[in-house]
Amino acid sequence: MMTEIRFELNGEPVSALVASHWRLLDVLRGPLGLTGTKEGCGEGECGACTVLVDGQAVNACLYPAMEAEGRCVRSIEGLSPAPRELSPLQRAFTEHGAIQCGFCTPGMIMAAQALLDQNNAPCEQDIRDALQGNLCRCTGYVQIVAAVQQAALALNGAERGERHE
Amino acid sequence: MHRYDYHKPTSLAQAWQLAEEIPGARFVAGGTDLLVRIKHGHQRPPALISLRALPELQVLDEAEELRIGAAVPMGRLLRSEALQQRYPVLAEAMAVLGSPQIRNVATLGGNLCNASPAADTAPALLVLDARVELASAAGSRQLPLAQFFCGPGETSLAPGELMTCIVLPPSKPGCRARYLRKTRVGMDLAKLSLAALLELDGARCLKARLAVGAVAPVPLRLKEVERALEGQLLSDALIEAQRSAVQRLVAPIDDLRSTADYRRQVLAALAVRLLRELRGAVGGGRVGEEGGESEEGA
Repeated sequence: MMTEIRFELNGEPVSALVASHWRLLDVLRGPLGLTGTKEGCGEGECGACTVLVDGQAVNACLYPAMEAEGRCVRSIEGLSPAPRELSPLQRAFTEHGAIQCGFCTPGMIMAAQALLDQNNAPCEQDIRDALQGNLCRCTGYVQIVAAVQQAALALNGAERGERHE
Repeated sequence: MHRYDYHKPTSLAQAWQLAEEIPGARFVAGGTDLLVRIKHGHQRPPALISLRALPELQVLDEAEELRIGAAVPMGRLLRSEALQQRYPVLAEAMAVLGSPQIRNVATLGGNLCNASPAADTAPALLVLDARVELASAAGSRQLPLAQFFCGPGETSLAPGELMTCIVLPPSKPGCRARYLRKTRVGMDLAKLSLAALLELDGARCLKARLAVGAVAPVPLRLKEVERALEGQLLSDALIEAQRSAVQRLVAPIDDLRSTADYRRQVLAALAVRLLRELRGAVGGGRVGEEGGESEEGA
């Protein structure tokens, strides 16, 4: 039996018909057609499916679709400020070579986004702690940490700029 | 893929009714363990009954006696200043459990009701003398956490009964406690874990608690060690004498994470060092910071 659920996705209200055993990942990649969120291990180890629910990073592979009802979900597709434009984090990842095969990247960026939303001046250990649930098998983590640091600086610069205006 | 129904009751009465009507249905809170077991085919419940929308299980009452709803995500608990300040040993244990993504949905009630011998929060809650509140349509009861665990995956929950909250007695100034564990790699299950609590009057021990994980069928308090320390002056010799007691009181096994022999010896060594540190050891640094196997890191 399919049930209709409604929630906010990347700032827009959406609804979808879901089976009761579906995961949030299945709704995003299936009926909603957003394939940026990846399925790696499917059991909460690799973090490739990380999305934000009410601002908190969660594994979409372990999050029942039925629990998304009424919540605010943010996926990698919701980060860019305008079509064909990158968010500060996305830009920093490309500039630092923090992406190789790219499969872990959406989850990695969403976990980093959750951190920056709560702490706009993280130290290296804060960043490593926030990314502990995200595995990258290509780059190692040095470039990824550097990218998050640059994005934090960029965000702070932008905020300071706004205050001066 | 195993298909199951998913129910979201909004009252305890509804939850109990669903459990009675659907044989084999399972209660679920965060689901970070249960959904993996279902995926692997270890469990095939016809229905899950979500406990997330039950107000009684979402309370976080920061009165002198802290009441933690069984379905409060650990991420929210870690943001509680009252908990961080008054029960840092519990914060320490939750902070190493899983990843941020897991902690944002996993719950204290789930960690306890899974009854894994390696549950990170169990030793910390045992040294805090935590009690758990269990409720069914027939009524509710409280019992000390130590009486809740019956075996690996087995608890004293009766059919249809669920855990509503965890109660922590008031924290005392002068109490010191820590949680420590060994893992193979970062973000792994503990191959051994321990928590200790000392209440001191100078060098005299007024109260001692020592609890261990992953070295017996259940998370365990080592009461014999506690009794040997309470009322005594904590000399190096007295603490050292607990090494053999710890080794004798635990019953570890060989498995994919470690061997029984390693667990017994390393646990006893860490217990001695942890007790010395909490007493205020001469020349003692923080246990676990002298290198060796990494306990953290991506």
